[in-house]
Amino acid sequence: MIPFASRNIKLYFRDKATVFFSLLSVFIIIGLYVLFLGNAWTSEFPNQEYAKFIMNSWIMAGLISVTGFTTAIGAFEIMIQDRELKIEKDFLSAPVKRSSLAAGYLLSVYIISVIMSLIAFILGEIFILADGGELLGAVAIFKIIGIILINSFMSVSIIQVIIGFIHTANAFSAFSTIIGTLIGFLTGIYLPIGQLPNSVQTIIRIFPVSHSASLARQIFMDIPLKIGFNGVPEAAVNGFKEMMGVTFFVGSKEITPWMSLCYMLLIGALFFAIAVMNLSKRKMK
Amino acid sequence: MPKIIEVDKLSKSYGSIQAVQDISFYVEKGDLFAFLGPNGAGKSTTIDIITTVLMPDKGTVVVDGLVLGKEDDKIRSSIGVVYQDNLLDRLLTVEENLFFRAGFYGFTKDQIKESVRNAIITTGIQDYAKQRYGKISGGQRRRADITRALINTPQILFLDEPTTGLDPQTRKNLWEVIRKLQRDREMTIFLTTHYMEEAAEADYVVVIDEGKIAARGTPFELKEKYTSDLLKLSFKDEIKGLSDLAALGIMYTRVVDQFIIRLPHTTDALPILDHFRQNLNGFEVLNGTMDDAFIGITGKEIRE
Repeated sequence: MIPFASRNIKLYFRDKATVFFSLLSVFIIIGLYVLFLGNAWTSEFPNQEYAKFIMNSWIMAGLISVTGFTTAIGAFEIMIQDRELKIEKDFLSAPVKRSSLAAGYLLSVYIISVIMSLIAFILGEIFILADGGELLGAVAIFKIIGIILINSFMSVSIIQVIIGFIHTANAFSAFSTIIGTLIGFLTGIYLPIGQLPNSVQTIIRIFPVSHSASLARQIFMDIPLKIGFNGVPEAAVNGFKEMMGVTFFVGSKEITPWMSLCYMLLIGALFFAIAVMNLSKRKMK
Repeated sequence: MPKIIEVDKLSKSYGSIQAVQDISFYVEKGDLFAFLGPNGAGKSTTIDIITTVLMPDKGTVVVDGLVLGKEDDKIRSSIGVVYQDNLLDRLLTVEENLFFRAGFYGFTKDQIKESVRNAIITTGIQDYAKQRYGKISGGQRRRADITRALINTPQILFLDEPTTGLDPQTRKNLWEVIRKLQRDREMTIFLTTHYMEEAAEADYVVVIDEGKIAARGTPFELKEKYTSDLLKLSFKDEIKGLSDLAALGIMYTRVVDQFIIRLPHTTDALPILDHFRQNLNGFEVLNGTMDDAFIGITGKEIRE
């Protein structure tokens, strides 16, 4: 299982196009933010001095969550290709357990998703620092790494279940394109959740990756909000947090970090169980 | 020789298409066995079933004393397979590919190293073992595929259309490798092909057409049974020759000064030659080829 997983990881990183396209939505988000959205948002801030620090932290938090999800999709391409190009036959005719092949795919996708998220995290911190902000503290860094680990687990499980319905490379790339386009909306990055109609807000709150984005925002924006919104009434700060999807509300009830965390783990475990069931049922035609 | 593969009443269909219908045959240990047929005849389906990647609808298969469907992992350990498509990873070097795939056989690290090294030496691919699989030529890729199949030192080597799309020189080189494996390692080779000249090299041939077995035998037997030979005579005295042919009731066609007689068996030429011995200017016996045999068996020319 481990050598098989490392084969998949090697294949992913050697295919520059796969790496690029699995990061495409990340590039789009950064591009849109740097060119348009960033300026539009920061210009509305009362305290201009910290506006950039706040908004950079906000966007990077969302970015890390999205990276975990889209790179997991990209990494699954290896499995789809093994099927499509019949490379799978070479594995199936060897005395290796079907379950350890499946586990090898899942493990490699998970590791790729985590590595890419960590890279996004490092680049994000560099960006924040270079643009006049500060680095996160040690505790916050560990919390973010924890969120990355859970976010990747959840993403891999969800995508694995969806991929059970996809049988061709064409369908897979269509799926990947659609998700790549939608994910910026689904996680409330292109437009903050507060600017969207209620129905869309509900979808965002259900979409599990939004929760890792929200948790990451709480950690990333803790310091910048404290210094940037110093002296601003608490009600206004909370309104801002709700507007930007730092904290989610259902009705008037706030979703606490623990609730988000439980939701992510639950969704991850549920989809993982479905995926394992599907894989063990799957037989060759 | 003992039977190393026994296939009994095997059937497999894909939806309404019957790929293989109730076929039975066996392969003797140490043989170079050729499974000959046009594209779409059911060769690959059969090989996929015997090599455990496809489940049959009906029938039993025994490989090296192991029952398919019950002892699949043991079967997998004792076979090596070169499938029709190139199945190694193009972005990895040949050697990396071999290392990863050697990991499937439960070897220790040292065993993996040794088996990869031995396989590379056996097929003589040292020169490009460190190059990426996607960057080497088609012939080199095939050799690498065979190397991959040899990693677990198999009893039986399956080759599904191994030389399709390769140039004649490369084909010849590959054949030397395959022949050497059969001779030196006493390996059983199970080959599917649609090339007649390859089937003609085999120890035993089974011809499959439209999912059914159309004929079986050694290449010699098949040629004897399904082709006729041609005897070409030219006479010193044509008028005498003609009247003698008529007297003997021999059918012939005439092309300029040659009288062409169709013979069921090569040996049928002997009494005729004996009879015309004094009057012969010259003669020629043309044996039927595997191509002729194939046309005789299936009623069609081989399709590319």
